[in-house]
Amino acid sequence: MKQRTSSPKQKQVNISSSASTRESFLNRRIPILPVFFLLTWLWAAWYYGTVFYISREYSIWVADVRIMDFVLNQSYGILRYIGRAMLQLYKYPWLGGLLLALMLTAGSWLAGYCMRLRPSWRILQYLPALSYIAVVTYHGFDIFFEAWTGLIFGIPFVVLTVLCIWAIIIRSFSRKPAPTFVGIPTDETPRQNRLQLAIIAVCLMAIIGFDMWQRPYVRVVCKLLDMEYKQDWSGIQKLARSNSKMSNRPMACAYAIALVQTGQIAERMYDIRLDYDSLHIHGMDWTHNNASPLYLPEGNYYGGFIESSLRASMEQMVMTGPTIRLLKIMIKCALMREEWELAEKYLSILRRVPFEGTFCKKYGAMMRRTDLVNSDPEMAMIRLTEPLHDSFESQYQQPLFMGYNLALVEGRSRNALINSLCVCLYTKLMPQFLERLEPLVGTTPPGIIMDGILLAENKNPGISQHFTGINFRQPQFQSFLQNIQPYMSDRPGHAYELFPKYKGYYPYYYFFGNLKATKKGYTGITTSNSGVN
Amino acid sequence: MKLLTLSKYIISLCILVVVVGCKPKAEVPVQFVEADIEVNIYPDYKDIVVPPNIAPLNFIVRDSIATAYVVQFTGKGQELLAAADDDAVIRIDTAEWRSLLMGNKGNDVSVDIYAKRPNGWIHYKPYKISIAEEPIDAFLSYRLIEPGYELYRQLGIYQRNLTTFEEKPIYENNREYDDNNNHCINCHNYRMGSTESMLFHVRSNHGGTIIVQNGKAHKIQLKDSTIIASGVYPSWHPTVNLVAFSTNKTGQAFHLYHPEKVEVLDAQSDLLLYDVTNNEVGHIIRTSDDLETFPCWSPDGRTLYYCSAGVKHLINPIVPDSLISQHLILKYDSIRYNLMSIPFDPESRSFGTPKVVINAAEEEKSISVPRVSPDGRYVLYTKGDYGQFHIWHKSSDLWVMDLEKDTCYALAESNSPDVDSFHSWSSNGRWFVFSSRRMDGNYTRPYIAYFDKQGRAHKAFVLPQEDPEWNILLLKSYNVPELSKDAVLISPKELHQCIYETEGEQAAYKANPTAIVNLDGTTGASPKVDAEEVLSDGLKQ
Repeated sequence: MKQRTSSPKQKQVNISSSASTRESFLNRRIPILPVFFLLTWLWAAWYYGTVFYISREYSIWVADVRIMDFVLNQSYGILRYIGRAMLQLYKYPWLGGLLLALMLTAGSWLAGYCMRLRPSWRILQYLPALSYIAVVTYHGFDIFFEAWTGLIFGIPFVVLTVLCIWAIIIRSFSRKPAPTFVGIPTDETPRQNRLQLAIIAVCLMAIIGFDMWQRPYVRVVCKLLDMEYKQDWSGIQKLARSNSKMSNRPMACAYAIALVQTGQIAERMYDIRLDYDSLHIHGMDWTHNNASPLYLPEGNYYGGFIESSLRASMEQMVMTGPTIRLLKIMIKCALMREEWELAEKYLSILRRVPFEGTFCKKYGAMMRRTDLVNSDPEMAMIRLTEPLHDSFESQYQQPLFMGYNLALVEGRSRNALINSLCVCLYTKLMPQFLERLEPLVGTTPPGIIMDGILLAENKNPGISQHFTGINFRQPQFQSFLQNIQPYMSDRPGHAYELFPKYKGYYPYYYFFGNLKATKKGYTGITTSNSGVN
Repeated sequence: MKLLTLSKYIISLCILVVVVGCKPKAEVPVQFVEADIEVNIYPDYKDIVVPPNIAPLNFIVRDSIATAYVVQFTGKGQELLAAADDDAVIRIDTAEWRSLLMGNKGNDVSVDIYAKRPNGWIHYKPYKISIAEEPIDAFLSYRLIEPGYELYRQLGIYQRNLTTFEEKPIYENNREYDDNNNHCINCHNYRMGSTESMLFHVRSNHGGTIIVQNGKAHKIQLKDSTIIASGVYPSWHPTVNLVAFSTNKTGQAFHLYHPEKVEVLDAQSDLLLYDVTNNEVGHIIRTSDDLETFPCWSPDGRTLYYCSAGVKHLINPIVPDSLISQHLILKYDSIRYNLMSIPFDPESRSFGTPKVVINAAEEEKSISVPRVSPDGRYVLYTKGDYGQFHIWHKSSDLWVMDLEKDTCYALAESNSPDVDSFHSWSSNGRWFVFSSRRMDGNYTRPYIAYFDKQGRAHKAFVLPQEDPEWNILLLKSYNVPELSKDAVLISPKELHQCIYETEGEQAAYKANPTAIVNLDGTTGASPKVDAEEVLSDGLKQ
């Protein structure tokens, strides 16, 4: 093999060339605005796109000002109206993100122009845009939850409009030349240029770091809700399991819905932690909210409680006005109740919302077609767990989809029985669990039910003999009981560390899961109204 | 705010310019095929009787393949043409419509509709509209509120001029959420169809009853330690400055699997008499075992009609008072109200002995909202299978009692399979407006029906809208429609001042010596009960 050699002259040339390369690199200036645009687009479309997408679902915009009167009659209603219109582009996050990034970048450009910033202070022009990103990230769910979603685009729109007017005035009177938008500002030194870039990168990283550290659940929950709307049940399971240490009710509900829809509720329910950490979420009155409006209509709907889902949706609509999400669930509920005119009413409004043609076409075809409603996979699954008889919501603990199943004495299907048994196990009410076991006698129950039977065996010796297949789980259960002995004196204290080891195992949940003191951020103040924890 | 209103107007103006600019030409086609099919129009304005002063009955023709429409109204020597393109919305010229109606009072107008289909124009089977001689009271006020059950947010009482499409707010609550100012308003009511005396209630923040007389509003507080709740359903006395109120302890429960959505019921209710001039309140009826509600004066002011249900037989005597409502809800479909009346002497302000006018419970039915016709001959009421909140009962229908002939009958022509309830007479007694959920089962819309001299009601039609589709798009219910001869003159601003800036004067409680007070018994509405039977029945549960 020949060794490469170089003459001293060549070396000199190489050294001087590398030095000049380094020098030229150090002297190279980067067009900051395009980079800023690219970074904000990535943030708005890829990183935070799902949150904005869900914000759109929690909002509505139609051209008809009569329908939008509830927005227009608010203070600055016209701006909220425009903001909502822009938010519609988030049906496709890349598109909504593109508009938002353009607005933020254009705002930064104009801010620099209007404030006549010298190169060393030019970083300040990015301050409004970066502040916007920081504020949005700080608020998390609050940007759309019982909030005025028109502000998401409304605020950048107002800022941009003001800056445009300001810039036009400056341009008209001082004839100051506009700085380059896509090119490199000639008055910046390379150092100033790189410093700007570094500060922007650090700010964005800090914001994203804050989001990952303080609001990690926001993007996850929004992605789950997105998948729920798209009926991506396997996607929900995958995402929830990959974030299994994170624990909050909206996630647990979405995960449970996915399991119910795929018939796995009694097999995989405990693959995620169910301790319910405190969430940063506030209602219209700015007090801390238990987040139940995020999942109550859906929980009731997928639990088979169509009337209650319709009611919960209606209550939310009273407070926030119609939203795409509420209209969609109400359309489905109305179809399932065979209230065709009601479904048509909501469809008439949804048809006016941009980009909702696919949904309207699918469910519009079900109008006055009970056969199509009942053969829809999602609705057919829900039909299996509808109540057999009428009763009143107030007779059950809340949330209803749990409370009803705790009291279930007669079900429509095996699915209804399994759901009821799972709720009994979830609430750790073993007597109720045992009362409902009889129909499974002589069969091999699903895994979680078997583990529940083994747990009940302690106080009810011999009960497991009525079922087949349980003996295989006995050694695992005995080993678990032995292993947890050292931790039993302080169960809340050890719950979190034991979770990875016993993830998915019901007896772990029974002893260590869903204990008030285990909750991350638990303050001792109950903020939830839920009857069943 | 002015900027916002201006913006709204600009947007509306732009839409109007586009709409008017594209107005299709109204011309009866020269060539068409006679199609032997009924036209499908929304709302259903076919074969109805209309008042001569009603606003144009704009409608939508529902034909999935047609692309243009022409409508020809033909009356006595008069013709009116209207047209629509593929949006199928027939908008009728107001001036021409008015002229057509005025020129055809007491006659029929024939309606011919032509539709342009791919193979050419067709002519549907014509239908007719009958124009009555008698006008309807020109103003209709109602509350617009979502048919929610527990929560409320933005709502208001509005007044619609029935001769045009003009709608004005009488009063709107706070548009933006505000914990300190959120409030609900309900039960607006006028004396004998005149807005000179008006009242409504404010609940929650700024609560009280707002009384408007002589163009001035003031707030009062009716609640007293002897009164179970504040005043609820009102009825102005026709000649003396008095108002009869019910006072109700109301609860609600939500069905899980039922065609109806909610059951609203009273755990307790009594009747009150409020003296507006002296700001004094006292009981008319105060009982522990009967539920009295929906008071209504006869036009001569000498009889007070109301509804009453005996619930003693439904409650186990061992049940403590605090649990009565929970027990009652489980027997909601056994609570039945009779129509009662009690004589009243306006001079001495004394009441006589109550009597059962219609024993609905006996036929396992229940009556609510009695309203006596202005001539005093008919009592219009709602009859359903059970309960009193018939606005959520699909079994509810409108009935009348002919007090002269002592007969009762359903207003079959006006009723529908869905909810038909809360009603209000026009001052001439020839029209009534009522709430119905027939359109979609959920959102109430006001329906207008003609009540002829023979006491027969005719097919009802929905309140006309400038854009007929608005009945579908509006996500609020028309609640408590009340007709009035004149417009409410007090401004929303004055009402706002009264509501926000006054606490409300406490009404003094003054017992009426002739009031029916029976805290251990009933007024006659309760079925006779065997106490031992109830007890043993209760223990069985």
